[in-house]
Amino acid sequence: MVDIAAEPAPRVGARRLGRVERHDSLEARNSQLAIGDPIAVRIRRFDSEAVGASYQDFQVPYQKWMRVLDALNWIAENTSSDLAFRWFCGSKMCGSCAVRMNGREVLACWEAVEPDMTIEPLRNLPVIRDLVVDRTPYERKVASFEPWIARTALYPGFPEPLTHKEMKDASKTLDCISCMSCFSACPVVGLGDLTDFAGPAPLVQLAQTGLDPRSDPGKLKRALERSGIFHCISCYKCEEVCPAGIPIVSRAIEPLKAKAAQLVPEMARHSQALRSIVAFRGRVDPGALVLRVQGFRALRNLPRILRMLVRRKINPLKTLLGIKTAAAGAASRLLDREARSP
Amino acid sequence: MQVLSTDVVIVGGGAAGCYAAINLNKKGVKTLIICKGLVGKSGASIFAGNLVVSGKLLGNTDEQARNTAEFLIKYHNQFLIDQRWARRCGEWIEQVYYPELEEAGLYFRRDDAGEVVTSPGKIRSVAANVQGNSGVPFMDLRRKQLIRAGIAFLEETAVTALLRRPDDSVGGVFALNCLTGEYCVILARAVILATGYSDRLHARSTGTREMSGDGIALAWRVGATLVNLEMQWWHTNDVAAPPTWQRMQVYPNPMLGSEKSARMVNSAGEEFFNQQRDDPLAYGPYTVQLKALAKQVHAGKARYDGGYYAGFDHCDPHEVDAYTTYGKSFRQLGLRFPEDLVETAVSAHYRQGGIDVDTETMRSSVPGLYVAGGLGGHSNGLIALATYDGKMVADAVAEDLCKLELCELPNAQVEVERDRLERLLLAPGDGVAPAHVKNRVRSIMWEKVGVEKDAAGMNSALEDLQRLRIELLPRMQVSNKVRRANFEWLDAIDVINMIDACELIIHASLEREESRGPFMRRDFPWMDNVQWLAANVMKKTDNGFHFEKRPYELPFLTPDFQMRRNLDVPW
Repeated sequence: MVDIAAEPAPRVGARRLGRVERHDSLEARNSQLAIGDPIAVRIRRFDSEAVGASYQDFQVPYQKWMRVLDALNWIAENTSSDLAFRWFCGSKMCGSCAVRMNGREVLACWEAVEPDMTIEPLRNLPVIRDLVVDRTPYERKVASFEPWIARTALYPGFPEPLTHKEMKDASKTLDCISCMSCFSACPVVGLGDLTDFAGPAPLVQLAQTGLDPRSDPGKLKRALERSGIFHCISCYKCEEVCPAGIPIVSRAIEPLKAKAAQLVPEMARHSQALRSIVAFRGRVDPGALVLRVQGFRALRNLPRILRMLVRRKINPLKTLLGIKTAAAGAASRLLDREARSP
Repeated sequence: MQVLSTDVVIVGGGAAGCYAAINLNKKGVKTLIICKGLVGKSGASIFAGNLVVSGKLLGNTDEQARNTAEFLIKYHNQFLIDQRWARRCGEWIEQVYYPELEEAGLYFRRDDAGEVVTSPGKIRSVAANVQGNSGVPFMDLRRKQLIRAGIAFLEETAVTALLRRPDDSVGGVFALNCLTGEYCVILARAVILATGYSDRLHARSTGTREMSGDGIALAWRVGATLVNLEMQWWHTNDVAAPPTWQRMQVYPNPMLGSEKSARMVNSAGEEFFNQQRDDPLAYGPYTVQLKALAKQVHAGKARYDGGYYAGFDHCDPHEVDAYTTYGKSFRQLGLRFPEDLVETAVSAHYRQGGIDVDTETMRSSVPGLYVAGGLGGHSNGLIALATYDGKMVADAVAEDLCKLELCELPNAQVEVERDRLERLLLAPGDGVAPAHVKNRVRSIMWEKVGVEKDAAGMNSALEDLQRLRIELLPRMQVSNKVRRANFEWLDAIDVINMIDACELIIHASLEREESRGPFMRRDFPWMDNVQWLAANVMKKTDNGFHFEKRPYELPFLTPDFQMRRNLDVPW
């Protein structure tokens, strides 16, 4: 038996811990197959003119350092020439070949094949045929944000005064190749019309100019009002799948939320209230949260309040007396520190 | 079938096409872009790794300014260029291009002190955001400029024929929407072809999926004169595997903020190319690199399709990662970076030649048909040059528009083209997949019209292509007759353009009886500045074609020898 205590903890960020524990490193992924090994590929076939979708199985011989796109090309050239999939550059620049492989979003040209893989189209977008999705819902959303910089001052000539420090967050988002992997992975986008959340990919596009110090905050304000940004639940699914490695939550969505709190405070009421309650009490107090966000209008929904009382979800006494937990000090210190950091 | 009309239709959504549209729109000309891929996402423009600084920009010295001109004329175009055009272009880049891009929001990478980061050396370059990835934010900006200006673009729509007026001038296009499978006709007063430098005609090629020589084939069919088609440029160190990465380059250009760049090592582990030592101009040394590789191939220490290596094992990883994306492919393959080198190979890259244009107006030899960017035969690729063409063509077209009538629907031509495409989709065939024919064409070109070629091999390639036409094309079959997103159908359309373009390229290659830079003939190994400091002009005739030689004027720079073995020429 392995002595767990003796194994040194892997030195990676929390978000990559799971992969490391599964020994799912890039090195492992590129060396688990030998040239000529059969790869079992199962592809979701779908034609919007025909009825229903089906899965079709293929066997593909492994080639050196084979990518998912190589496997698709092999199938199209050798077994099933009518397989529909989109790609242009084949080298992680055009962002047109994203698909789902074994349930996670990957850029087909970039990701190593796996011995047994199921390939499906991206979620949250209409499928045109097989792996080809309709990009227009995404494009429309991006266009509605007016994704260009609007200068408030006259352009002073090349090169204008600008530092990388000022452009740090915007610069990260400029790596976006609009492959829509994150748009497919996002559980909130998956809720459809239940929210007005724009989704991670359009927000990254918005951040490119919205976090650029040269652009007019007024325009960002208008875009944020249409973004539904506070529906983001910070689950980090988008960051996990981004082939460009953009820290989508921490460097795009969170900074945009901070901008929204300044520019459109009413949008941020719920999240501001939550934050200050946690800072003050050291825990979430649902009663206080409802009161802060809805005021005494909350009392109109008496049956729900009673249900919550019975299930001990709320404790009016604690709420009204402002009882703190032992963690209050630490919470306020942490949240203050975060607020102060750039 | 949809019929649209506009003042100008632009075929191609890369740097040249987008900029032409933006400029025409500013002049109040109604413009429509039609793009086989996605505007700003397909073609070669997104591959712009870094952006060259010309003139006195960013503290360039007189010497650096001169070097940039010398690089463009000598290293980049082997003297097959209108030097006056090159000068105009350089001035425009200095005065208009950079300020305009930055004003529109393009982020030229700064350091924390606010200085624009450049690569040091005899020629300098900058990057949009990250070196190696500059084309992505650059073209993204263009796409958004089109949206902002309200310029219409049809995407994933392939132009399959140019339409002509009764006087044979060009006034429209016939196209297939690849996603819906619907046909469309666009009638205009002028047509601008801007389909790019880089076609996927060789087994290994930097050309993207949709690039199949369409621009050359379409223009030739309406009688446009072509020039220097043989002048094929090569990437010398693209990653050898996986196949889809054949356009993933281990960039040889100097890194931003560093003196160093990638080095190359042969199969015996000996270094045979290092920018600092081997390339006197220390910029874009593709031809210098290719010649170094050819010598290794002759010595049996490398092959054109692999067996040699490139990487950054002499660099500090922080130096590489500071401003470049160069480590990404190594890491994605699970290699140690920078300790490990990666196996590399040659890929066919840009074609210097193309459609013959008047560089003042970007007119082709066919009235109504204009050209912008890499498809033109007047220069080799750089995103700034393609952009400059966009401006030139917009100026000229706007001026000519009063003389050009809106084309009337040429029903007969439309019927012929529709029938042709229907037959390609519905032909019973004999089970030969269009993708298979495409691969055959690419193998023929790679094996017989590759880096080093000779008359015997090229003639045999012509025979192979002819056999393919007669024997394989009639057996070609689109297996699924569905119309939506039927890329197999598109392959069948593409392959006919590919064969036409390849044949034209081979004929042009046979005609140039010398070697010049990246154009290497085993049977004519000398660079011949007496006979061949000339454009190789290919004109269509009633029963085929003929060639003419048109000498270049040399107002600023002149080669300093008449005849020399090409492999001994240091540029």
